[in-house]
Amino acid sequence: MWLPVLGLMIGLLLGLMSDLRVPEEYSNYLSIAVLAALDTLFGGIRAQLQKTFDDKVFISGFFFNILLAAGLAFLGVHLGVDLYLAAIFAFGVRLFNNIAVIRRVLLTKRTNTQQTEKN
Amino acid sequence: MKIRGKHVIYSLILLVTGFMLSFSYQYTNQEDRVQSNDEWKREDQLRSQILSIQKENKKLLNELQEKHQLVNKEEEKIAEQEKLTFNLVEEVKKLRKVVGQVPVEGKGIVVSLEDSSYIPESKDTNDYIVHEEHVRMVIHELYVTGAEAVAINGQRISHISNINCVGPVINVDGVKHPAPFVISAIGDPDVFWNSLNLSGNITDQLVNDGVEVRMDKKATIQMPPFIEREG
Repeated sequence: MWLPVLGLMIGLLLGLMSDLRVPEEYSNYLSIAVLAALDTLFGGIRAQLQKTFDDKVFISGFFFNILLAAGLAFLGVHLGVDLYLAAIFAFGVRLFNNIAVIRRVLLTKRTNTQQTEKN
Repeated sequence: MKIRGKHVIYSLILLVTGFMLSFSYQYTNQEDRVQSNDEWKREDQLRSQILSIQKENKKLLNELQEKHQLVNKEEEKIAEQEKLTFNLVEEVKKLRKVVGQVPVEGKGIVVSLEDSSYIPESKDTNDYIVHEEHVRMVIHELYVTGAEAVAINGQRISHISNINCVGPVINVDGVKHPAPFVISAIGDPDVFWNSLNLSGNITDQLVNDGVEVRMDKKATIQMPPFIEREG
């Protein structure tokens, strides 16, 4: 269990330490990629909680979503349509959905455990 | 082993996510700082710089105008001075001519006064020779009619010259001149001619006094400067 947490820590540190400068026009891609990653992550957590977790789906979804979002934004920039808004919207909605589901699952779990403790 | 591989993949994913999260956080932070803080400050700075430069420009412009005015004034003063000095120089030149300090050349008239060639036996010889008053008369007339320079027998006359009668000769500034007396004057020869020949004027009087008068207009007359002699 400690390895993924270590990975997260290393990733955070790397991000904070890196002095990379992304050009202004690519900041949109970055934000969409972040959103996609977060969405996939929360989707994975939800699936885990709902016992429908598939690591292949999770891994492929993670990278594919990021690439898709970035490609969509790229296409939007080149077509003159703000397609990245669509990606942000979709991922945002899904993110909220996932978090809501996670909350509910956690809540039901808690009430269940409390009831079992009471019983 | 299978679980471990999965964990490695999860950790990789989390690493990527964490990296992206913190990176974008840092990035937006930087951007914010640049935009909201530095940019604003810079803009303000530049604006104030522009303002101060404009103020300075205005001040300098005023100064420049002041200087221009000063220069104009100075120029006018100098021009006036130049005019004045020019006038002075002109006047000095004229006065020098009159005073006789410079050699003069120009058109003029030559009047020669000669003793009468015929003197009757019964009369006084004195009445038939040229006297200094005749010479003076002619010289005065010439000066009155605008002579710039006058000379007797080639000797320049000036305002301090004296002409005396010393027996048969005339003493001009200490130099004795016998008859005939050639009086040359520089100026307008026509004016001299007309004024001298005015009926009842110099020529008539001279002729009446038994003096032989001859007048010649000359295109160029050269005169030496007046030499002051002691005594």
